[in-house]
Amino acid sequence: MITMDALKAFGANTDEGLKRCMGKESFYLMLVGSALNCDQINKLIDQIKSENYGDAFETAHALKGIYANLSLTPLSEIVSPITEHLRANEVIDYIPLTDELLARMKKLMELAGM
Amino acid sequence: METVTRIENENRKRHVLVVDDEIINRMILGNILQSEFDVFYASDGEEAWAFIQREYDHLSIILLDLLMPKIDGFELLKRLNGSKKYKSIPVIVLTSEKDAEIKSLQMGAVDFIPKPYEMPEVICARVKRSIKLAEENSLLNAVKNDSLTKLYNKEFFYQYALDQDRFHADQEMDMLVLNVNRFHIVNELYGHKTGDDLLRGIAESLRFFLRKNSGLACRCYSDTFYVYIAHRSDYDTLFPRFLAEVEKNSGLKDISIRIGVYENCDKQLTLDQRIDRAARACSSCRKTYKSSIAMFDNAQIEKDLLGEKLIHESERALREKQFQVHYQPKFNIEGEVPVFSSAEALIRWNHPEFGRISPGVFIPLFEENGLIQKLDNYVWNEAARQVNQWKKELGVRLPVSVNVSRVDMFDPKLEEELLGIIERNELSPDELLLEITESAYSDNSSALIEIVNKLRSDGFRIEMDDFGSGYSSLNMLSSMPIDILKLDMGFIRKMCDNEKNKQMVEIMMEIAKVLDVPVIAEGVETAEQYGALKDMGCNVIQGYYFSKPLPPEELEEMLLTRTAPASRINL
Repeated sequence: MITMDALKAFGANTDEGLKRCMGKESFYLMLVGSALNCDQINKLIDQIKSENYGDAFETAHALKGIYANLSLTPLSEIVSPITEHLRANEVIDYIPLTDELLARMKKLMELAGM
Repeated sequence: METVTRIENENRKRHVLVVDDEIINRMILGNILQSEFDVFYASDGEEAWAFIQREYDHLSIILLDLLMPKIDGFELLKRLNGSKKYKSIPVIVLTSEKDAEIKSLQMGAVDFIPKPYEMPEVICARVKRSIKLAEENSLLNAVKNDSLTKLYNKEFFYQYALDQDRFHADQEMDMLVLNVNRFHIVNELYGHKTGDDLLRGIAESLRFFLRKNSGLACRCYSDTFYVYIAHRSDYDTLFPRFLAEVEKNSGLKDISIRIGVYENCDKQLTLDQRIDRAARACSSCRKTYKSSIAMFDNAQIEKDLLGEKLIHESERALREKQFQVHYQPKFNIEGEVPVFSSAEALIRWNHPEFGRISPGVFIPLFEENGLIQKLDNYVWNEAARQVNQWKKELGVRLPVSVNVSRVDMFDPKLEEELLGIIERNELSPDELLLEITESAYSDNSSALIEIVNKLRSDGFRIEMDDFGSGYSSLNMLSSMPIDILKLDMGFIRKMCDNEKNKQMVEIMMEIAKVLDVPVIAEGVETAEQYGALKDMGCNVIQGYYFSKPLPPEELEEMLLTRTAPASRINL
């Protein structure tokens, strides 16, 4: 179960996230909890690997929105440039970025005791 | 474009549809909105479209994500905007992309909420504001359009026309009034549904032309439409095209429409005045059964306005003696030397603002509104006073003829009035000759003959004025009680143009001989006319050949030198 302290330690802007959830801490933590999985990130990695950049962009864009709304800053600051590169159809080496994204998610999951 | 009217109960909790494929985003928004709205969710465009079709009646706003599977946000916006039924539902787009904001606003979105979401209070306020604006707009649509034709109603037409003037002051504009000829017959013969189809057809055709040419239109009432359009000069060619369009849109053939156009409106006038002018032009083609278009005649309104002003000021003018009586001499030409034998009293109006006004302008006006009786009475009194004054001061007895209008003839007090004037001025009745126009006899001849007979028995002498211009039958003429025939000046003016015209005058002279009455020719201006008339045996001449009408003081010398000795009285 993730806590506010754990999120702060991770670098999330919890004040902002909490405000967006009308100050309801349990609601905020529940939403963060539902975002703590690697499924979407792995899907993104697979789409990039298979050069399916259109779908990859949509996945990245969705993740960017979720992480930004939950103020999970360390995640959104990585997924944002991925989204912009994909939007611009840039064929670059995405692996360092996706690896970093995956690592940060795993770290957050650890903090959540998962 | 037709819009659907949605009028909301003030206190109802509004329904909001949040469309986003990410549940976390949906839940955050739902949490923000739920205290003030009933929130519904759709996880993609397809689900949203089904919900909208099902719940449209209760839905107040849609918060729409753009990037979604199946039907994305742009496609949904396109569907909504293309639907008459759903386009009035406001949509706020949820996006983090600046380019998408612009595109979605262009596609009909009313606002956007940036991602990540801003302050919850701000989101709530933006949603509430968008709903309020949409509902107000919907209410406005309900009252601003005529429910049958969807054109503006009269009040909004006026407002937008004034806006047009205010913001485009230099644009020349035309006001049009359109009517259906005998619209009630269309309803009677074919039923109200057909009548409504025709009105809708007209409205659709007006919209068609107004889309191409900037302008406004409204249905004012029943079958009357107003159009305010940028000035154009091709109505003759536009009108048949418009009629064809109406036939196409209404499905009816042989429709009959009339349009009045007040071109290049004077913007100093109120809209009502401009519409009145277009309506007058429209009325001018009422008599025809065919479709027709007529232009308002600016000169006519100036004439009408002057007429109104003159009528309005006439009472005061009589009080202030702005009217003056002039006298045009009549010369007896039976002898070697023409003799000044009588005169006709003619009214002149010296208006303080307009100067000398022609009797041709104000007499018809006064005849129309009944003021002519007062004016005639004024002239009779003034002429009788003058005849008496000449007798007393100059020792000359000069009979003067005065005009008796048609309306005077049927005044029961006419005889009493004339006798009173004679008595007050110490005259005999044959010193005030009465001129009655020929056309008066044809109106109600038996009644008029009775009145004339009574006046003659009192001693008055009757001149039939404008003889030849009316429609007297020969049979009627023989029974008419007249003492003198006065030929219409139209015949005299043309008599020397050709032999035929001259012969016409000769025929009238022959008629006078048969009736055994003397003839006065008026409007005689040339020696040629004078010579011809004298040769024909005309008795008396009136016209510029001898003298124009003169004020009384200018007649004195002529009175003293050119009247017959028999007219002189020993003072």
